[in-house]
Order: sequence, then structure tokens, then C-alpha cells
Amino acid sequence: MTAASTSRTQILDRIRSATKILPQSACAYADLPRSYVRKGAQSHLAQVELMIERLREYDADVIECKAQDLPATIAAQLASSGRHTFVAPEGLPAEWMAAGYDWKIDHGMENAEVELTEGVVTAAFAGVADSGTIVLHHSSSEGRRVISLLPDWHLCILRASQVVETLPEYFDLCKQAPDLATYISGPSATADIEMTRIKGVHGPRFLNVIVVRDDS
Amino acid sequence: MSQAVAGHPILDPVLAPTFPKAALPILRNAQLRKNVTHATDVIQAKRAKLVAEKTDWQELRSAAAEIRAHALENLGEYLEQFEARCTAAGGTVHWASDAAEARQIIVDLLREEKASEVIKIKTMTSAEIQLNPAIEAAGIHAYETDLAEIILQLGEDEPSHIVVPALHVNRSQVREIFARRMGIKDLSDDPQVLTGAARNYLRQKFLKVPTAISGANFLVAETGAVAVVESEGNGRMCLTLPRTMITLAGIDKVIPRFKDLEVMLQVLARSATGERMNPYTSLWTGVTPGDGPQRFHVVLLDNGRTSILAKPKERQTLRCIRCAACLNTCPVYRQTGGHAYGSVYAGPIGAILTPQLMHLEHAQTLPFASSLCAACYEVCPVKINIPEVLLELRAQVVDQERKQADRFLDLMYWGLRIANQIFVSAWRFRTAQWAGRIGLRFFTGKDGWIHWMPSLGARWTVSRDLRGLPSQTFRQWWAARAKEAK
Amino acid sequence: MRASLFITCYNDTLYPETGRAVVRLLERLGVELEFRAAQTCCGQMHANTGFRAEAFSQAKRLVRLYSDAEAVVIPSSSCVCMMRDQYPGLFEELGNESLRRDFAALLPRVYELTEFLIDQLKVEDVGAYFPHRVAYHPSCHALRGLHIGDRPVRLLKKVRGLELAPIENVDRCCGFGGTFSVKNFEVSSAMLGAKVHDLLSTKADYCTAVDNSCLMHIGGALHRQYAGMRTIHIAQILAATEGAAAEEAA
Repeated sequence: MTAASTSRTQILDRIRSATKILPQSACAYADLPRSYVRKGAQSHLAQVELMIERLREYDADVIECKAQDLPATIAAQLASSGRHTFVAPEGLPAEWMAAGYDWKIDHGMENAEVELTEGVVTAAFAGVADSGTIVLHHSSSEGRRVISLLPDWHLCILRASQVVETLPEYFDLCKQAPDLATYISGPSATADIEMTRIKGVHGPRFLNVIVVRDDS
Repeated sequence: MSQAVAGHPILDPVLAPTFPKAALPILRNAQLRKNVTHATDVIQAKRAKLVAEKTDWQELRSAAAEIRAHALENLGEYLEQFEARCTAAGGTVHWASDAAEARQIIVDLLREEKASEVIKIKTMTSAEIQLNPAIEAAGIHAYETDLAEIILQLGEDEPSHIVVPALHVNRSQVREIFARRMGIKDLSDDPQVLTGAARNYLRQKFLKVPTAISGANFLVAETGAVAVVESEGNGRMCLTLPRTMITLAGIDKVIPRFKDLEVMLQVLARSATGERMNPYTSLWTGVTPGDGPQRFHVVLLDNGRTSILAKPKERQTLRCIRCAACLNTCPVYRQTGGHAYGSVYAGPIGAILTPQLMHLEHAQTLPFASSLCAACYEVCPVKINIPEVLLELRAQVVDQERKQADRFLDLMYWGLRIANQIFVSAWRFRTAQWAGRIGLRFFTGKDGWIHWMPSLGARWTVSRDLRGLPSQTFRQWWAARAKEAK
Repeated sequence: MRASLFITCYNDTLYPETGRAVVRLLERLGVELEFRAAQTCCGQMHANTGFRAEAFSQAKRLVRLYSDAEAVVIPSSSCVCMMRDQYPGLFEELGNESLRRDFAALLPRVYELTEFLIDQLKVEDVGAYFPHRVAYHPSCHALRGLHIGDRPVRLLKKVRGLELAPIENVDRCCGFGGTFSVKNFEVSSAMLGAKVHDLLSTKADYCTAVDNSCLMHIGGALHRQYAGMRTIHIAQILAATEGAAAEEAA
């Protein structure tokens, strides 16, 4: 046996004898207590309001628009960003890519190429209002992880119908566990120096969210 | 600088001085204590506010505690499941019995990658196994990327807190370290400017260094996924940009299912940083073609954990999710900061975890570094009864002492043995009360108070007077009253 | 109602006035008190310092001594906490079946003083008079061990003339911790310094608690610092009436 496989065996043996010695006191998985709040109590309208409020608390720039106004709203956001080069995930709807900008479609760009772009536009998988969290599962419209990481300016399109109130409700949305997921609750931040919250350490310093009111 | 007064902190439990000894220079360091008080006050206030708004906080705590307890009772199955799923997804799982083996595995992997540099996400487990010196010894430079860790690495300092490891350093100290080590003139002490300096310092490293090392907050058995929570984005950089990713995780980090994160993430962020959710949480499963590192290794570390698992009262220690809420609330930690604990794990959780990881061969003063006020238990999101474990470990330390030939040189030891002989007999107790009254009269001042006592008593009178013993004990009064009534 | 008073070793020796106040208070409320002279210590100091076998021998003694008592009243939350939290483990490990049975029967009849007043005697207004500004320090064992909640405060609020002073960081430990105050005397002193700072900011005349152990610690520092503020056990406040002022030692 190799040293590696010996350690594996030894550790698992030690675990087995350790867990055998003691009487089982913990619950079976199915009996674990789950009396915490699962479903939100608010109306969907209020949930979306809460989502927006939370995002703003995190210093994200939030704009609401009707579904039919989305392309124009995106264009306005791009214009006001003062930026020119944007990366787009492969599956980003074409109508979201306003004309007049340098769009880099990510067909597997090198990190260094992504670094040269000034911003990114992505879709999202869900929004969790309670914590103001934007969930990315990195599908083709949400993009690979790197493109929502290196550009300093992130415009995320969140449909109101994707917003849930509680974190457990998001987990209920997942029919199967995602291979990749990123939960974003505000822009990159640190409080490592005297607990003073500083925005923008390594991740995008500017998080912009368009909430598409497809619910009303 | 803090070290100039305190001396370089030693966080190796084998070499560290006893807790009382290590605490002393810190207690005399006004700046450090001010920094620690400020930081813990801020986090505590934020945590209290967010816990109060959560109407189901106690239910979440119960769920979190039970999920962790269940995972530990079925640890073998869950680890094997994690290994199978992670491997199926393209990851490679390694098992390390102790710190030396884990270091060797990681150094070998880095050599295979022909790495000359490696970028790191803050990981307590890496500090536990003293990974950085081993990497450096192999001629590979490790760059810490968490802002606090950069401050410590450049300042040649050591972490003093599990979540905010540089909380003992203030902005002007950070300015001095960055100016000196990054060679920046005219650096201000504005945290925004200092943070910007760290961003610039690391940006090129993130883009160019092809190998990264992380810890793990959770390993999901059901899917083989690893979860890392962070604030700055340095974690995402390390998890996303390099070619190769090595994750070092204690075997205790496993949770049964993806869905369990709905509990763990809620309690972790609120407890750790007083946020509803930390800015970034990343989950990845093995290797995803075209996205992120294409070579992925997980090193599962035992290093004493299985021996903790085998003990009934101590097992709960392994439920810990490293939120550090117990540190922030601990009145001892708030006075001493983290370095006094002589381990990367400070505060109440460190006081129980470190001695156990050391098989109680070192760090025996840590279980006594607590007034047993139980504030830690009250805030713990996974309900670890830290006072209970402290007491258990104290008993084990005393049992060691009972076997030592020089035990009677320890005044406290024989004092307590004699006290017991007194307490098991009312007659002896009355005699001791009488003798104590006579004996202490000698030290009692004209004001009826004792201002100084010899020997161990001097440890009391160092900061406290003691009222002189009254001329009549309660039992004497009661007896006299009963006599009168007759 | 009849009750047996477990005065505790240190109250007996160091703070007999607290015991006398408990007697005065409970007899005024119509409780018939007894005092068993064989009592010594509950074993807490030994248990908390790791001397488990020694703690067991004291614990066993105490259970045997009180097994036929109707109710046991203890003016010290930490000793009650010792019995509730640590006796079961000690007896499980070192005791026999008969001891465990006796203990299980006794435990529901053991009360901390303010628990006894509120839960058993169902009284909040004990007819006390204490015209002073008072800061109530909730001891850790009362607060997080026994979870006695606001019982002491409810009692104090009904004391005529008494003005309650809120304390900053009220739930923080004073740093006593039994042998901790000697083993880690420097850290303990630093914790005490922080507590005394918060206490003095209340501008109270007295600091009170349900435990004389914390009060011995806090009072020792107040006295050392010529601070003016004094410490007094809650029993002494509750025993005081307009006719008879609270008994204090010099």
C-alpha cells in the first residue's frame, strides 16, 4: 500500500471506531430540526422592494425598468458608466448588447483579455431579498466566473420574478445542486482595517443591478 | 509597532509560553488592547443587531447544531461520499493523517506544478499546519491575498483572530508596514488608500501566478462541492484564475447536503461579521471544463480531529464553523487579544480546540484561560457548550498533574487537595474557619480590610482588597440565636 | 412553608450578614427556616478547577445531607448552577444508582434565593425599603447558567426608595471565575478593571448581585480604589425595611 492510501484507511478506520464507541445521539438526516423560516411572509411586491433596499444598503446601484424597456435601460446604464469595452457571456441576449460599444463575447477568453475590459453585463439565476443576494449559477447568460470577477464594473440583470424572500426559498428553486455558484451580496468589501468598511478590494468595485419588473 | 513591545508572537502550541505568561506583555500594551476592544465592539454590535432582526435565530441555531452533529456522527460515510463525488467531477482527493503529511502532499503538488509562487486565500487550517514555512523551505513563495493576511505577512506578524486576523493592528501601523514593504512613499493612513495599495500589490499576482491554495468553509458530501465564503474577492480570484487549485480542509468540514447550506450560510455570516450574508460565497465542484482551474486537489486533514471525535463531551468541538463569535464576546479574549493563546485558534474555541489537537501534551494552560462566564456558549451558532468542554479538559489536565512527582510544589494543587479534606467534614471546616480568622488577622489593616497577602494570596491582592474575616461566622450566629430562643 | 438554608461555604465564613439577611427576609415572609450545621461546600471550586473526584466527594455529601429537605434555598447562583449543571455529570461518572436517584429527587427542590421568592413564594414586593441608587450586576451563573432572567430586577423594582442604575455592558463577566482570579490574576484584574469602569459610570451608591463571589471581586477593587461605591448582596437590600436598615459590615 502507498503512504497515501494508508492514511486514507487509517483516518477512516479511526473515524469508524470513534463513531462506533459512542452511542448515536444525533438525529437521522430526515429528522433534523428544520423549524426555521422557510417561506417568506411578504407579498412578492414587498419582496422585490426589500431586495432593492438591501442592494442599495450594499451600495449597489439599482435601477428598475419594465420588461419592454430593458434594452434601452441597459443602454442608458452603459452610457452613464463612461466605459467602452464590455465583456458579454456567450448566451447574453443580443438585444442587451447596445450598439456603439466594444463588445467582447466570451467564447473562452484568456484571463488577461478579460482584465482589459472595463465592464461586464450578465443575467442572474435568482435574487434573495432577505440578504440582498444575487445568485449566479454561471449558465451561458450568467457567464463564466472570471467575467463577473475581473471587470471593475458589473451590470447584472435580475428579473423581479427571480426574486425570492428567504435563502431556503432559493434552495427550493434549485432542482439540482449547481456545479458552480457564486452568491454576491454587495460589491467586494473589507473591514480588515479597524473594522472600517471599504468598498472594492479585489472584486468589481461597482455593482449595478437592473431589476426588470416582469411581475406587475 | 505591537511586536516591539509584545515580542514576536509564537503561535506554535509546542513552543508557546503558558497563557498567563503570554498574556502579560499584551495587558501592558495599551495600543493593542485599544485596537482589540474597538474591533470586537464593532463586530459584536453588528452581530447583535442582525441576530435580533432574525425571528428564527434560535431555530436556525438548533438546525445548524444538529446538522453538524449529524455530519460528525456519520463522518466516515460523508467523507467517502464527498471523495467519490469530487473525484467523479474531476478533482483529486488526498488524505493527510497529520500536519507533516499534509505539508508534504501540498509541497509535492506544488513541485509537480513547477510552481515558484503560489497565491493563498486565508485559511486557518494552513496556519494550523504551518504550511507557509514549509512552502518557503521548498523555494516557493506564498502570497497571502486576504488584506488582513497581507498586513500580517508583510508585517511579519501573526494572526490574532479567526475571522479578522489583523484586528490588533491599527491604520497607522498598517500604513507603516505597507509603506516600508511595498516601497510606497507618501502613503496616507486612510483605510481606503491602504486597501487600494493592497489591490495594486496583488493584481498582477492574481493574473500571473498559476497555482492557488485555499481552505474550505464547507465540503458538501452529496455533491462533492466545496464552499468558500469571503468578503474581498481575493478568494474568487484564487478560485477562478489559476490553472491549479489546492484546497486544504479539516475532515470536520463536511456537511451532508447542498440544501444544508441554507442554514449554515445564514448563521455563519451573521455570527462572523455581522452581515446578513458575506459579500461573496463561492461553490465549485471538482473541475468545470472551461471555467476556473482545470486541476483541482483536496487535501483532507485529520491532525488530531479523529481523537476528538472519539470523546463524548469533546466531540462537539468539531462542530465549529470558525465564525469567531465566541472570541468577540469573550471577556478574556477582549483583554488579551489572540496572541496570548499561543495558537492560530484563539479565544474560547481555541482554548478547547488547541489542547485537543495537541493531544493535551501541550497548551495545558488554555483550558484554564476562562472565567467560565459562558458568553461563548450563548452566541455559538452551532451550540458548542464550550464551558462544558473546558471543564472536561481541566479535569484531564489535573489528572495528568496527579501523576507528576513534583505536583506538591504547586501551591494551588496541594491547597485544593487540603481544601477538599476540609470540606468533607463539618468539624474540620469549622476549625479551618477559626484558624483562618486567626491567621488572616495578622494581615488585616486598621480599616478591617486585607490589602496584602503572601504567596498565592498576593495574586488576589494585586488588584483587590479583601474584607477581613468577621468575628462571627453565620453558623455561630445561627447557633447563638437558637440558644437564645430556648 | 419550610425551607432549609444552604448558606454556602464562603457566605458562612466571609459574609455572615448575607445569611442573617436571608433569615430575616424569609422569616418575615413566613418561611420556617432550618440550618443544617453539617453543611460545608457544594464542590464548585474543585469541579471548576478540574478536581473532579474531590468535587464529587463534596457533592455526594451535600445530596445526602439534604435528601429529606422540603426545599433548599441558596443565596448564591453559582452554587445552584454547580448542582444543576455539574452534579448530573459527576454522578453519572462517579456515583451509583442510589445517589443518582436521591439527587434527581432533590434537585427540583433546590432554589436560588430570587427563584424561591418569585416562583415559590410568588412574591415580588417583599416590603423592603432601601433609599439608594443601586446598580444590579447580573452574575454570569445567574444570567447564563440559571437563566433567572429579570427575577432580581423585579424584586428590586418593588423596593421602596430604591433607584435602579443601568450598567453598560451589563452582561459581561467581572473576571472572578473562582480560581481563575488567582491562576490568571493579571487577566482577571484587567477584566475587573473594565467592569469597575462601567460600574462607576452608573454613579450608583451600591452594586448588588445574587452572588457574593462577584461582589467580593468587585468590592475588593472598589475598596482598593477608594471608589466610594459599595457592594451589597441582594438579600441584604430585600431584608432592609424602614424600621431596620440594611445590615452591612464596616
